[in-house]
Amino acid sequence: MDEVRIGVYVCHCGFNIAGVVDVKKVAEYAKTLPGVVVARDYVFMCSEPGQDLIKEDIKNQNLNRVVVASCSPALHEITFRTAISEAGLNKYLLEMANIREHCSWVHHEKEKATEKAMEIVRMAVAKARYLEPLEELEVEAKKSVLVLGGGVAGIRAALELANYGFDVYIVEKSPTIGGKAALIGYIDPKTKGAEVVSKMVEKIRDCPKIQVFTSAELVQLTGSAGNYVAKLRLNPRFVNSRCTRCGECEEVCPIEVSNEYNFGLDKRKAIFIPFKNAYPPYYAIDYRVCVKCGECEKVCRYKAINLKEEAKIVELRVGAVIIATGYDPYRPFKGEYGYGLSPNVITLFQLERLLDPESPTKGELIVGNKVPKSLAFIQCVGSRGTTLGAKSYCSRMCCTTAINSAIKIKEKYPEMNVYIIYKDIMTYGSDESLYEEAGKKLINFIKFEEKIPKVTISPEGLFIDVFEYTIQQEIRIPVEAIVLSIGMLPPRDIEELIAVTRVSCGGEGFVREAHLKLAPVEAPTKGIFLAGCITGPKNILESIRMGSAAAAKAMSLLSKGKITIEPMIAQVDEERCSGCGICVAVCPYSAISIKSVNGDRIAKVEKALCMGCGTCNASCPSGAMQHLGFKDVQLLAQTVAALRGESYG
Amino acid sequence: MADFEPKIIVFACNWCTYAAIDLAGTSRLSYPPNVRVIRVMCSGRVDPQFVLEAFADGADGVIVAGCHPPADCHYIEGNYKAYRRFELLKRILESFGIEKERFRLEWISAAEASKWVQVVNEMVSDLRRIGALKPKLEVD
Repeated sequence: MDEVRIGVYVCHCGFNIAGVVDVKKVAEYAKTLPGVVVARDYVFMCSEPGQDLIKEDIKNQNLNRVVVASCSPALHEITFRTAISEAGLNKYLLEMANIREHCSWVHHEKEKATEKAMEIVRMAVAKARYLEPLEELEVEAKKSVLVLGGGVAGIRAALELANYGFDVYIVEKSPTIGGKAALIGYIDPKTKGAEVVSKMVEKIRDCPKIQVFTSAELVQLTGSAGNYVAKLRLNPRFVNSRCTRCGECEEVCPIEVSNEYNFGLDKRKAIFIPFKNAYPPYYAIDYRVCVKCGECEKVCRYKAINLKEEAKIVELRVGAVIIATGYDPYRPFKGEYGYGLSPNVITLFQLERLLDPESPTKGELIVGNKVPKSLAFIQCVGSRGTTLGAKSYCSRMCCTTAINSAIKIKEKYPEMNVYIIYKDIMTYGSDESLYEEAGKKLINFIKFEEKIPKVTISPEGLFIDVFEYTIQQEIRIPVEAIVLSIGMLPPRDIEELIAVTRVSCGGEGFVREAHLKLAPVEAPTKGIFLAGCITGPKNILESIRMGSAAAAKAMSLLSKGKITIEPMIAQVDEERCSGCGICVAVCPYSAISIKSVNGDRIAKVEKALCMGCGTCNASCPSGAMQHLGFKDVQLLAQTVAALRGESYG
Repeated sequence: MADFEPKIIVFACNWCTYAAIDLAGTSRLSYPPNVRVIRVMCSGRVDPQFVLEAFADGADGVIVAGCHPPADCHYIEGNYKAYRRFELLKRILESFGIEKERFRLEWISAAEASKWVQVVNEMVSDLRRIGALKPKLEVD
């Protein structure tokens, strides 16, 4: 190492620092510290003349380290890094001594504050002696994005990215994009879910930048931000685009299964169209249930069916990944509020299908063979810790959806008695107007607290016993239909998603964002973004917005075509590394692997994956793994300087 | 003993605790000047060796502070790694005769400036009470 030549710059920050700390004394003291060749104080170090002082000293005094004693690095570290790099010094040869937030603003005794400021400077100088120049790495970044999940959040993200000129690949597990929003009767009193989705799908269809893979799964994701390699398995659809949707194949298909697109209200064949505006707009064969009898192939006049089709593996190179795989509706257990015991007990999702004009009942609310004279919603099914096995969170959309549907029902069947049996009504924001509207439509709101309502199924009919909290009285409501307002669950296959993409789950089982406030929409791994209900319950509008947000984040990462990798990351001293692999186990980003180098096992850091937390450094038994910018020697020097005043080493 | 001013070394994570200490400053809170803060990116970066080095060099107390479990950590789970390491280190320190008041592992979020002040106040008064660190191991 060349001779260490440190310049120390003590800022007055007007009176903010100088009002309490004797800045002249601090600067004089700094001159006595080992390695310091110049120390100055100035009224505003961050001002242009202040920065010029530093720059001139770097040139004239040949400085190779700079310590600025001023405010928090959170405020001006970037300012001073830029300043010293303009003077030709590597920008990582800067250390900040925080004598404002950590000293002059919190201590009032001048002598003690000055003493502390001197020690803070001493610590910074001690660390600065061991600073090293670091270089930012740049890697090429692909301007293409993989969107996992073809629901509203994923579609919105894809459209934003395509508009900006990115290549987008949508990967959807089911045979159609559109997601669950396409199945919701009305998302507000005037808008049908299917309409919103078909408008978005039309744009996808007309956009050459977007490629849609349906019946497809992501099976492997390797690489790092800017350069991911995604391996997809395209499951066979058996039907190609020559299909004219004549429907003859469906008639001859002998297999009948429950129709998941109507939430089990009716049956579908093994060859089917999920819903009217499904995209791609042709038949699909459910490869999981098809017995390959060949009847459909025989009857098809357009040669659109090929039962010999096999699963294909496709590799895509993308710069970023947006995960928008959504949620699963809560699954009530048999007997929960009578579910599964009576055809008159249905879920909110089934009700939404019934209210859709494209439904098996053409929009007629037929529950158990007839239009009921009275209907009750039971809220918080599976949410807010209401019942055994319920999740502790609020599912956000069920109150609004139930009230919205209740209003729709009242409009269509004004004579029907509609009850909403609730714990608390969560129609937040502008949805509050729906709650008011429901009151005007004479929908009955019944409140319960700890004691949950009890559903009795008897030959006389359905009864709900509930302790009405407002009037503090047990009441019995006879109804002809019950709708369970079920909440949201993390998708069933979330474990596979975690295994492939290395995202992590929060306490509720949904995928976690890197930081709710500081890094929203980002997964902890760089280049992976999150949108929609995969991070927790959201309504349709919120999911759409999050899709846009995720797209914006992906664009800002990739738009330059290059990604800068922060150099304050882990580095291995190959001579010292014994290949024990402890660092591999502690790394939260799977950025470290053990490689064989000339027969020796040595840890290798994937620079683009490392986020620079330093936990590998703390766990390395031989000191081979070092966190650049926070190396053992740097932090120990700081520690020793705080206590002894002598230099470390 | 009344004049004894303990010296406390603090290893603060960049994202939560260091920010809380900054916030204590911008909010003009007040606390004793006995603490010396060393910034690390994550509490998971703090090597138990640093804590031992600090005590060996004469620190009267050490605080390792990071983001609240379970989910505040900027690096997914660095706080858990700190937790595991320092729960173990606490036992070792006690076997060295270093009183438990001298080492604290704290979770202080970026918004909890007042918690930071409270922790410092408590620790300074604890250490004033028990006095300077005197190694109790006798060596021949």
